[in-house]
Amino acid sequence: MANWKAIGGSVAVVAAVAAAGAGWWAYDTLETSRSDVADDRVTLADFKADPEAVARGEYVMRTGDCAACHTKGMGDFAGGYEIATPFGVLVSSNITPDATGIGAMTERDFFNALRQGIGQHGLLYPAMPYTAYKNLTDGDMHDLWAYMSTVPPVRNDIDETAGMRFPFNIRLAMAGWDMLFFENTGFDGDPVADRGRYIVDGGGHCSACHSPRNLLSAEVSSKYLQGGSLGTSYAPEITSNEYLGVGGQSVESIAQYLRTGTDGVAVAAGPMAEAVEHSLQYLSDEDLTAMATYLKSVPGSDAVAPPPLAADSLKQGALEYEISCSACHGPRGEGMGLLAPAFAGNAAMLAPDITNLSHALMVGGRASSTHENPTGAGMPSFAWKYTDAQMAEILDYVRNSWGNAAPPVKVEDIAKMRADSGARDKLSIPQ
Amino acid sequence: MNRRGALFSLGAMAAAAATPVRALEMKGYPTDMSMDPAFLPRPAIHGGSFQVLTADIDRRTVTAVFDRLIPADDLGASASEAGCVEFLDMQLAGPFGEGASLYRKGPKLPNEDELAQTPQFIETPRERYATGLAALEAFAQKTEGASFADLPEPRQDAILKGMEDGTVDLGPDVNTKAFFELMLINVREGYFSDPIYGGNKDMVGWKMIGFPGARYDYRLYADRTGEDLGLEPVSLIPRD
Repeated sequence: MANWKAIGGSVAVVAAVAAAGAGWWAYDTLETSRSDVADDRVTLADFKADPEAVARGEYVMRTGDCAACHTKGMGDFAGGYEIATPFGVLVSSNITPDATGIGAMTERDFFNALRQGIGQHGLLYPAMPYTAYKNLTDGDMHDLWAYMSTVPPVRNDIDETAGMRFPFNIRLAMAGWDMLFFENTGFDGDPVADRGRYIVDGGGHCSACHSPRNLLSAEVSSKYLQGGSLGTSYAPEITSNEYLGVGGQSVESIAQYLRTGTDGVAVAAGPMAEAVEHSLQYLSDEDLTAMATYLKSVPGSDAVAPPPLAADSLKQGALEYEISCSACHGPRGEGMGLLAPAFAGNAAMLAPDITNLSHALMVGGRASSTHENPTGAGMPSFAWKYTDAQMAEILDYVRNSWGNAAPPVKVEDIAKMRADSGARDKLSIPQ
Repeated sequence: MNRRGALFSLGAMAAAAATPVRALEMKGYPTDMSMDPAFLPRPAIHGGSFQVLTADIDRRTVTAVFDRLIPADDLGASASEAGCVEFLDMQLAGPFGEGASLYRKGPKLPNEDELAQTPQFIETPRERYATGLAALEAFAQKTEGASFADLPEPRQDAILKGMEDGTVDLGPDVNTKAFFELMLINVREGYFSDPIYGGNKDMVGWKMIGFPGARYDYRLYADRTGEDLGLEPVSLIPRD
């Protein structure tokens, strides 16, 4: 019920803002002089690219992780990925140089779409992180354009907005959104000297997941990189906060995590595993080091460790952990090197949002598989073995042992995950 | 390989060495990590009625036999108190009762048992129980004029001992000695198998012998020799 009200309210807000903003939004968000540096005659389908620009552009494509959303079993970059938003299902577009893709775009159109969300069929939805790509330099944009011209064209006609509810299926409504939340400016630093921030805030679009979003799906800038919910997963805080963020980690271990999917403590799974597999493992050590250095400098939340739960209350969880978890995660939470995550000293385990933990217990998970660490480990589902309350006991034990401390998990959060994920119930046994 | 082929492959190797070699990206690997239902344990159906031992007399006979083989005493509960009758019924209703893993086609030679050095049966365990329990009851009625279950314990023990050592013969339809052994094996299985299968209630069998149950390993305890670890037994699926 509360959700209905919130969504109903946001409909009214967007509609009102769209109407009010229609008069003068063009001055701001449609002001496209930034794209004037780009050619407006040759289409992507006809563009003949310089091989060096293509090579550099492939790297830009990797930093941007375009494939994450634009490749989904219909051919490379041919779109078709369904993104569940609070406003309906959005389908990612075909960005190959085909007529059904972006083959008819000029380089200037391409700049407008990527950096300002002004697409060939109307305004883009902010599920496309143009709010981050706006930071890309003209040079990187040109190289990316050159690379995209070499992608094999794939015929795949996609209706991106067919699954969006009224009024969100009207692209013009995004003008109101842009007016409220989009700042039409480029990177505000030196892309070379501030390389780490340039990648984190530009192509990397880290904050798209790691920052919380408001009711209208805009990032909350005051909580930049302090953790965001993605529905079935939670992107944890990655700021300098030592309790929940990466402040307690060395630059080297953060860079190793980004490059291989694990630093020997935490292991990337879910959407982060995809980011590592498709994007981050291709970045240079210099760039990963720059990103890690920057993340460690970002001001974090004020979260501090609470006193750990009393050991007496953790006995049942300890027994369950020993029986079902310790084989891979270690009797003392030490993990299994690059294979299974450690829980001791793993800040991501302590986040107030336990979505990742309950999801792993209910559905299981797959770690990333990278060139350096090809054996992505698997976490089996334990839905058949434990009740919601027993899972809560296990998590309370893990989150309050070996130096960890976190508030108790709520059984209803785990019950909700069981229901939402469609995981089976625990097997019934003779009582 | 001829010389030209060898040269070509050398060229290919040189080319491969010049460009960095990278594994292909893994795509489309299965990500479903739920347990395959085929591999999940099948706990006993609780709260339901008996499926095979549906006749009251059969259940009474099995209970009497099992409770003489594992009686209640200072060490622990009796077999029937531990759920072994329910365990047997569940097993007889399933693949074990059907002899699913046994070769049961003919021919059965007259000297088959000697050749195999153990008794061989065309009948399923379910059929052997049906025949054996009926024959045991008939034997008790004929020799004692009462049901086996109603006999005093010393008499029950005497008949069971006779079945074991071959001095009691339940008739031409039953391999008496083998039937005794079948019941002895099954009552042990019920008493010591995981409680999810209906027997070993409250892990009474495991507590009796100090078996710590379905634990993954003992790294935490490996160096603690010569002391009672006091490990609480653990069922494959813990109770709610």
